[in-house]
Formats: sequence, structure tokens, C-alpha cells
Amino acid sequence: MTDTKNTPPFIAEYSTHPDFNAMSDVTFRSLVKNFVEKNYPDIPRFVQHRLSWLEVRPWYGILARAGWIAPTWPQKLGGMGLNAGKQLILIEEFERFGCGRVHDIGTAMLGPMLMQYGTKEQQDYYLPRILHGEDIWAQGYSEPDAGSDLASLRTEAIIEGDEWVINGQKTWATLGADANMIFILARTDKSVKKQAGISFLLVPMDCKGITVRPIENIEGHSELCEVFFDNVRIPLDHIVGDANNGWTMAKALLGHERVFIGAPRLSANALTRLENLARDNGLWPDPVFRDRFASLAMDLEDLTDLFETYLERLKNGEPIGAEVGVLKIFQSELYQRISEELMQISGSLAGIKKGDDNDLKHDASGTYLAARPTTIFGGSTEVMRNVLARVSLELPKQ
Amino acid sequence: MKNEIEDWEENVQMLTDSIGAVVPPDGSVSRVRKARHVGAGFDTNIWHTMAEMGWLAITLDETCGGLGLGLREATALLKGLGKGLTPEPITPAIMALRLMADAGEKILIDEALSGEKIILAAWQATPDSVDPSAGVSIKDALLYGKKISIEGGLAAHAFVVTTPHGICIVPKDSKGLTIKSTPMHDGTFTTQLIFEGVKTSSLACTNMERSLFEAQLMHCAYLLGVSERAFEITLAYLRLRKQFGVAIGSFQALQHRSTEIKIQLELARASIAAAAGAIDTGKSHRHCQMNAHRASTRVKMLTRLVAREAVQMHGAIGYTDEADIGLYVRKAMTSVGLYGPEYRLRENYMALREIQV
Repeated sequence: MTDTKNTPPFIAEYSTHPDFNAMSDVTFRSLVKNFVEKNYPDIPRFVQHRLSWLEVRPWYGILARAGWIAPTWPQKLGGMGLNAGKQLILIEEFERFGCGRVHDIGTAMLGPMLMQYGTKEQQDYYLPRILHGEDIWAQGYSEPDAGSDLASLRTEAIIEGDEWVINGQKTWATLGADANMIFILARTDKSVKKQAGISFLLVPMDCKGITVRPIENIEGHSELCEVFFDNVRIPLDHIVGDANNGWTMAKALLGHERVFIGAPRLSANALTRLENLARDNGLWPDPVFRDRFASLAMDLEDLTDLFETYLERLKNGEPIGAEVGVLKIFQSELYQRISEELMQISGSLAGIKKGDDNDLKHDASGTYLAARPTTIFGGSTEVMRNVLARVSLELPKQ
Repeated sequence: MKNEIEDWEENVQMLTDSIGAVVPPDGSVSRVRKARHVGAGFDTNIWHTMAEMGWLAITLDETCGGLGLGLREATALLKGLGKGLTPEPITPAIMALRLMADAGEKILIDEALSGEKIILAAWQATPDSVDPSAGVSIKDALLYGKKISIEGGLAAHAFVVTTPHGICIVPKDSKGLTIKSTPMHDGTFTTQLIFEGVKTSSLACTNMERSLFEAQLMHCAYLLGVSERAFEITLAYLRLRKQFGVAIGSFQALQHRSTEIKIQLELARASIAAAAGAIDTGKSHRHCQMNAHRASTRVKMLTRLVAREAVQMHGAIGYTDEADIGLYVRKAMTSVGLYGPEYRLRENYMALREIQV
């Protein structure tokens, strides 16, 4: 490991990107593996939460210099231009090495939004700043009274002269504490149906009138923030797309995310930990445990098969319907079931808190806690089942 | 490779279209309703139609007069037949053909393919067994022991019996053979064979396990068809049936339970497709067997879920003989336990998982 660290960075090997999609999966996988092994900096690995900007910045810098920060963006805009299959390989190899998750709201959410709905000026200005790590974006959608029912959001923006004036409060703003920019959904017309009066605005976090308060979560981390807007003024052109069209745009953007949010990776990691723990504590040969483990293992493999059928559809450019929610619902519930099995077989020691004073090998309660929000964020299981019932099963409205 | 993909997709389309010859496209199950416990529990005229359509020959090698198609095609066929609750015992017939082909039996294959003779596999020893060699022994060229749970066995002319040494072909009127057929809730009969020194010669056969997991997969495709259709009928009822002045399908409790069925259904489809694809693309024996066990387990859990929810969601009408949904529930009851219950499949799966390759 030390040796490879001293070799010149792999990132120098390409001045321009090759066509990654034309490579065989095996070639591409070994390319990614090699890249990660040679370039991953001396920062934590295998953490279940998001690293802070301070911690993850060196890795972001390396990915940015290599042109690997935006795997899904087209190459002409500075991305890698990966298709769905190659993306999956990239994610798998990053996971295998335990790479920290970089601040990816700009590349995963804002970038695609600007590419589809932004002006040429917005694209030219913001996209390179994301690629270079000059702008770190936070997402401001949810509000204290608008969670699963997001469209009822109340943060308001009105036009005064040549400015938008924003008042309200966002909560669960992912990466709010590290970001210098935030995109928000704000109400810009109160006279119409709730979904029809929402706009998508871009707000610098250093604006006068913005207050940020980090929220410590149940695991003791602060990835999420509350952001208060008190007469915050931004120029009129800090809007993406047409006024009052923000809801439609935000929903239209969910194509890839709706598939990848149901990726089996979290459950797969947890199941590996379950097997390792059972082997370590001697439970592995127990027939009762094996029957339960087999159920979970089969669930994971069936989920993986289903996930791959969606990847295939993405690859072929086929439309992804509402039934894709099946992936996210099942993945998150499976992750929780596995975490509960981890807790159960940890018995009286399940509650040990991983810390500096211990070298806890199988962090059962850490997994348990990390699994909790997966059935809540990105659409709670209950709301997703409502949608599935109505759209996919064509059952009548409640 | 590209052509190959297009080929099987085309085949599946053609087969799916042809199923209408046996399963009415309008979803009517009146033929099946009337056939219950009449004669052998199924219709020998339909059997001939199936033979003419080449369905029995589907996975049989072309050199043996078969169509040489894969499991992707066979599972599509069986799913379609399951939707219509087709009682004709096609899976044990296909399994018998695969076994005879491997053992080099030619004449009977021709007679079976033409529909002239009904020849069925008899592989199962005990209600939860998945070992095709169990239950029988051969001593001095005489067959002893028992095989159970042969679907449609009442009309069979001969049985292909799996043994520790290969297969034995046993005609129904063999001396020393007792055939016992018992009515099942779905209107078919289950048959058991008792061998008390049946004179036979055993044929070497190398694909007993393989024929079994292929049959297992075809059977679970049939169950998928049963489940899919039962769910469609139930959803239609939820949209139609009014209580408290609204369609009961608007109630969130029923909606969320319906989405659970949808989730299991999607997983089952993906699991079967992966298992069939693994066989057709020549994955390892162990890999295919694990996939088949996994797909069977998923589909069986789905079938049990759909059956109990279908009755509950239909309310009292679901408990009558008159409602078609009851035919699906009873088919689910009698079929879901065939080819190994879930706990046995999970046990085998774990054993296979640990074989180092």
C-alpha cells in the first residue's frame, strides 16, 4: 500500500477520457480498482455516515483532478459519461475499498437539473464550479411541516424589484453545514394548486439573513441542518427553469435516482457483516440461524436480480415507471431486517457503542441506526406504497 | 449473442401467443371448473392439443425430436398455463421426456411426444424430499419402494421412476405395482406408486438432478401464473366492490397490503428470469441449482401470500365455491408444496452455498 502511494498518481495517465463504455466490464473494473488503490488519500474508510468536508476534501480534489468527480455527466461537460452498467461497477469498486462518500449533491442533483433546465449562462458558470469543488451544494427541500407531503412547503419567495426575497425554513438540508450554495423549492404562487406554485431557486449560503443550525442525528453525526431564511435577497436570475415549474422539474429528474436509491449495496454490506459475526461467535452452523440467514440471503439475491432488470432498462433507454419504488421499499426494509438480525445475534452486547476506546468489529447498533432513515428519506415507505397502489396497481384514490 | 437474445425473446412471444389454444384469453376458467374430479381430473383431448402444439417437446433436444428451446421459453409457457389453472400435468411429462432422452430411450419418447401415451416422472420419495434418488431400491432387477405426489398419474400409461442407479420405466399395468390416486382440493388427483418387486431394467441417467431443478423451475413459473392471475382478479374486485359508499380498494390498509404482493411479484419474476437465464446460458450446475431453489422459494412465498390475501380481500364471497378466486386458492394450496417446501429449499441452498468452487 505504502509503495503504491509513492508512485506518481494514476490520474496523470489520461489527458482526455477514453470511452469507458466501450471497455469490457472486466477491464473497466480493474481500471477503477487500480485508480482507487493508487489514489485514495489517508482519510477514513468504511464509514457508514458521510464524512465532513474537511475529511473528504482531499479525495474530492483527487477525483476532481482526474475528471472522475461526475461519473454520470457527459464527457463534453467534464464527466465520465458512464452508462448505468459502468456506474454500477464504479460504485461497487468504491464500496469494496470503503471510499468515503464525497459531497455529491452538486454532481448528482443540481448538475443534471441545470443540464436539462438551466440557461447556457447557468451551465457555463455552475457546472465547472461543481467539478472543481468550488461550490459545495446543499439540498433544501423538506420543511418542518412538509416532509412526506413535500408539495405543501411554505418557504416563500416574492419578487421585489430585481430580486427574489425569501422567507421561511428548510430542514433536513443534506450537507447544510458544509455547503456554500443551496438549492431550494420555494412557493412563488399561492393562488394555484399546491404543486403548481413552486419554483427552483439557487441561493448562496453567505447571503444576509441565512442562519444554519446543524441537527445532530441519532448516531451522533451532523450531516443534516436546519436553514432559516429571513428576508434573504437573491438576483432574479437565480431561478432554474420557469417560475412555478419547480415541482415538475424536480420530479422529472428522479429517473436514475429512483433506480439507484434501491441499489442492493447497503443490504449486501450488512449481510456480509452478519455472516462474519455469526462465524466469529460460533452461531454459523446453527440450523435455526441458517434458515433465517438463508431467507435474508435469498432476499438480497432476488433484489439484486430485480435491480439488474432496471439497470438493463436504463441502459436501453426504456422508461422507468412508478413500480421502480418496489426496489427502494424492499431494499430499505431488507437492510433493516438484516440489521435487526445483527442486533439479535449480538445478544446482550448489541448496544455497545463503537468508539475510540474499543475496536468493535461488528457494529450491530451502528448498522441498526444507519438503517433507520432509509425507510424515511427519499420518500417514506408509506408514501411510496400509496403511490405504488394508485399509479402501478390502479387502485382508487383514498 | 445479440441474435441469441432476440431469438429467445421471439420464441417467448410466439409461445405466449399460442397459449390461447388452451387458456381462454378472456380469463374464463369454466373448462377447468367442469373438469374437476371428472375422469383423471384433466382432459385427454387437451393433452393431445398440447402435444400437437409441441409443448411437451419444448426443452427436449432436437436430436430426440424436441424443439430444443430453453428454460426461458419453458417458464413463459408454464406461466401462461398457470394463469388458466390448466390441470394437464405438463411439467412431470416434460421431466419424464428429459430423463428418457438422457437415458437413450427412443420409442417411448416418440409415443409420448405424439400424445399417444402419457408418461410422467415419478421422482419424489416423501412429502418434503428433494432427492430424486430416494424412496426406492433395486434388488436382482426388481424394484421396491414408493414414489408419491405424481400429478395427473391417474391417466398415465407409464412412469419414469428415478432411482439411486438411474431411471426405470414402469408401465402402469406392471406386476407388483400398486397405483393409488387420491382426490385433491383443486379437482385433480395425486398418485402414489408402491413397488413390491416390479421387474424392470434400470437405465443409466446422468441428468436426474438437472431434470429435477428444471422441473422445479417450470413448476414455479406455473405458480407465478396462478399468483399473477389471482392478484389481477383480486385487484379488479378491490376496484369494484363498494362498502361504506366507496370502493374498498381506496382503503390504505388494503392498498399497502396489495403493494406487498406487488413487491413479492416483481421479485419472483426477476428471480425466475435469472434462474432460467442461468440455465440457458450454461452457468455451473451448482449455480443453476441454487438459482432454481431461490426462485422456487420466492414464488412459493408469493403464492401463499396471494392465496390468503385473495380470500381475505374478497371477503365472504371468496369462501364460496362459485367465485373463481376460490379455484385459484385451491390450486395454490395443492401445488405450492410440490417440488419441495421452502424450508427444505433453504436448507439445500445453504449447503450448496458453502461448496467451494
